Amino acid sequence: MTQQEFNTVGQSVRRIDSYDKISGRAVYSVDVVVPGMAYAKLVPSPLPHALIKSIDASKARALPGVYAVLTAAELVNMETHYGSDKKDRPIVAMNKVRFQGEPVAAVAAVDLATAEAAAELVEVEYEALSAASDLTSALLPDAEPIHDSNYCHEYGYEWGDVDAAFAGCDRIFEDTFLFPMVYHYAMEPHTCVVSYEHDRIRTWTSAQHPFLVRAELARIFGMQLDQVQVVVPYVGGGYGSKSYTKIEPLVAALSREAGRPVRLAQSVEESMKTVRRHAARATIRTGVMNDGTFVARECLSYVDTGGYTDNGVRVTERISDRIVGPYIFDNVRVKSYGIYTNSTPAGSFRSIGGPQASWACESQTDIIAEALGIDPIQLRLKNLAKKGDEVRRGKRPLEGDLAPKLQMVLDKFGWDNYVREDPSPTVKRGIGFACNVTNSGASPTSTSLVRFHADGSSTVYIGTTEIGQGSRSVMAQIAAEELRIPLASIKVIGSDTDAVPYDRSTGSSRSTTLMGLAVHDAAVDVREQLLEIAAKHFETFADQIEAADGKATFKGESMTFGALVREMFGGSGGELMGRGYVTQNHASGRLTQDPVFWEVSIGAAEVEVDEDTGTVKLLRYVSASDPGKAINPKQVEGQDEGAAMQAIGHSMFEEMLFEDGQFLNPNLVDYRVPTFEDLPGEFETVLIEFGDGPGPYGSKGVGEGGIVCVAPAIANAIFNATGVRLRELPLTPERVWRAIEKSKQ
Amino acid sequence: MRPFRLYEPTTINETVATLSELGDDGKLYAGGTELLLAMKTGLLQYDGLVNVKTVPELEGVSYSNGTLTIGARATHSTVEHSADVLAHAPLIASVEHRVANVRVRNVGTVVGNLCFAEPHSDPGALLLLYEAEVDIASPSGTRSVSVEQLVVGPYETSLAGDELVTRVRVPLLPNGMRGAYLKFGYHHRPTLGVGAAVSVTDGKFLDVRLTLGSAPPKPTRMRDAEAVLRGAAVDDPAVAIEAGRIAAEGCDAIDDLHGSAEYKRHLVQVFVQRALAEAVERGVK
Repeated sequence: MTQQEFNTVGQSVRRIDSYDKISGRAVYSVDVVVPGMAYAKLVPSPLPHALIKSIDASKARALPGVYAVLTAAELVNMETHYGSDKKDRPIVAMNKVRFQGEPVAAVAAVDLATAEAAAELVEVEYEALSAASDLTSALLPDAEPIHDSNYCHEYGYEWGDVDAAFAGCDRIFEDTFLFPMVYHYAMEPHTCVVSYEHDRIRTWTSAQHPFLVRAELARIFGMQLDQVQVVVPYVGGGYGSKSYTKIEPLVAALSREAGRPVRLAQSVEESMKTVRRHAARATIRTGVMNDGTFVARECLSYVDTGGYTDNGVRVTERISDRIVGPYIFDNVRVKSYGIYTNSTPAGSFRSIGGPQASWACESQTDIIAEALGIDPIQLRLKNLAKKGDEVRRGKRPLEGDLAPKLQMVLDKFGWDNYVREDPSPTVKRGIGFACNVTNSGASPTSTSLVRFHADGSSTVYIGTTEIGQGSRSVMAQIAAEELRIPLASIKVIGSDTDAVPYDRSTGSSRSTTLMGLAVHDAAVDVREQLLEIAAKHFETFADQIEAADGKATFKGESMTFGALVREMFGGSGGELMGRGYVTQNHASGRLTQDPVFWEVSIGAAEVEVDEDTGTVKLLRYVSASDPGKAINPKQVEGQDEGAAMQAIGHSMFEEMLFEDGQFLNPNLVDYRVPTFEDLPGEFETVLIEFGDGPGPYGSKGVGEGGIVCVAPAIANAIFNATGVRLRELPLTPERVWRAIEKSKQ
Repeated sequence: MRPFRLYEPTTINETVATLSELGDDGKLYAGGTELLLAMKTGLLQYDGLVNVKTVPELEGVSYSNGTLTIGARATHSTVEHSADVLAHAPLIASVEHRVANVRVRNVGTVVGNLCFAEPHSDPGALLLLYEAEVDIASPSGTRSVSVEQLVVGPYETSLAGDELVTRVRVPLLPNGMRGAYLKFGYHHRPTLGVGAAVSVTDGKFLDVRLTLGSAPPKPTRMRDAEAVLRGAAVDDPAVAIEAGRIAAEGCDAIDDLHGSAEYKRHLVQVFVQRALAEAVERGVK
């Protein structure tokens, strides 16, 4: 199918949720009111690591207006722990607390003020344990174990003869890079309302993965999947912070205790104590030949998963999957460890392990290029994986050549013609580049249902959470395209597990590719049914009929789709149903291998460094987004720019700071997120559309690529400007100034 | 946040009487941009807040006889956009334009900012540059002190519990004196602010004022650094470096989230030179 044949696919149509959101009609979890609802307040642990000696909630319970206080003692006749890979997280702290802010108890009361007053009356006696709130202290041999040990997970792989290969190299480089703990800052903090009833649980929550929350609640409370309803209204940003299960089990348990619906709307500070990104320490050893050929690579990474595993298992694996870079090595040995520390648990965050891995490997690429006297772009091109290469052995081969994609970014940036002009002897400019590929898409398990109504309009049911990424618009475009009806005739029903069919998750850039295929297939299913009805009507074969503009046409005679539906049911009503199942055995044959696709990330930066203060100004940033086929180009650009902007945070100033386990900056005054003032002077996204993705129309996901390469591109540009190499993020003015001062000595 | 009672007096007398009655359980409330943040986190708790915004006498910005007057109700935005400020002290308008963000500027007041005495803040160091004074009312009468005497430390002023700052009086810079104010930082609050005002005759500094904010615990006049500049040649870079060095040495900086004390002192050195250069350049123009 060529581009000209599309109707809405490929068009930057207006988002179908724009009216809801601009008018204020959009409902978010915080807007949900259930009759009889109580308001909840958490009782957080003031200590980062301690044994709980006793909890006395009697004064809190005695306060007028208090319905219930939930402590570990109330977690009876139910499962007490949860978690996506390791069920190590108690619903409220049991016996010990593992990070500052961990809920030890929760209060449900008639209003928030009463709940807050009661929360202060809950008396908890602790016995403090020594706290380790970073990798270094948690890895000390005599560190107080946070769980059975401080090791959460271990992962690795190897190919080739690594030791022999290193022995044969001309040069070996070894560098260690540090990546900070950072917070997502979704504008909407975690919010959840649960009504626990004896035979059902109803949940309204800001969750990215409603079906996984449903499964977790069913397991915890011993119910069947059909008894648990999870409704996800509009979500005010996810970025991974609302992946898997977060506060829902606690609110459900509190609702059971209170005997009424309960609402917990967290503050930003409470959400900063709910989830964050993994800090990382990555050491890369690379053996090369003098001509720049990459021969061997060995990586050892530690990721800090905080007080509980959350998504620590997968992040431990992904950093290793992503740290080898987009290059061909015949010899690789990679190892990573997930480590518990006394800090906010770390979970998913836009490209799990990706920015951490790329910070290390793409900074080192430039270190190698400098040492060998080879242009950093040429060094990359020399070693870059090509179409069909197994960039990680045993995994899905690369869908397309990377070199032309890199060139598109370089051309847009004007890399080859760059002329450096320093504004003054102490204010210097430079350019930097970085690229990587990341295994994306999570698991290929998605389903969709398309109902086709008797007037020719259609309702599309998807389990994808609309977290602001625009999934509802894209799914509507795909459905409209395949149903051959106008976009205005499509309504998309979002996540309500009682209504929409199963989707594994909203994350890992997977929705357009996987749910997109499910919607595509469901819409095609409906279209084929329409053609069958038309074939009967026109007394011909289905393949003789043209379906377009809401009509079936045969030899100049037309019937509207609505009329076909009515004819089938022999009256004025009726409807058709189409279904789309996406599994690894999908008929396209494109989902058999892991990962679902390789997400491409490319970035080029120009910076200006004030050597007197260490201030780095990002003058220009050119990012690439490789959607294969952009179903809605403006939304693709929005995803890419949003991701790059978010990366400017961890690159330049974002860092959660802990001292002896005390969280020093748990608010948006002291924890600095990017704002419009931090936009690069010039900011561009290059759209790459080679049709090489496994999704509908050759599409693939783009939600995460933009965040992956910003930090190394900036650090490489700082090196180009000043000759100073930074190995620790964020690149705060003081850190840059110190590095410059040190280089002068 | 714990519930509190909001008092809405309509006169200065009623305001200070209410304050006096509430004692330690009450606090003045203007924009609330600092106070309410601290109350939300539970850092501060009061049973009653006394709203100055309901007192008409505290309104507005005016100019007369070489002095700008900023009432206790005047927000940063009011000052930023005041025709009098723009006409007579455009430097104040330009600094106020860059205080925090537009939401804070629209509700936060200049007087409230001084009285909360958050060290990481611009108005204090800026108003020191103008040798501004505040008028204070209490049940027992009125008095005036300089801004320098008002702010005594982080979150600490010389005000008694029942005293209300009714206005700031800002004398314009003397004839021939030109001012500059530079701020630095990447957090929401500034890491450093340096004010410089100079008059130049025959290529020499005639008079100099240097003020420092955010890096020290309170807005500070850097008199030792001023002293080495008076009478020195404007185009001698060594003099500005020396002034910067003295200012940095005299800066009582601490390690905090904005950076190490060492880095802050380095920044003082850099920005004293830059602010002096900018003030001199403005004088030339």
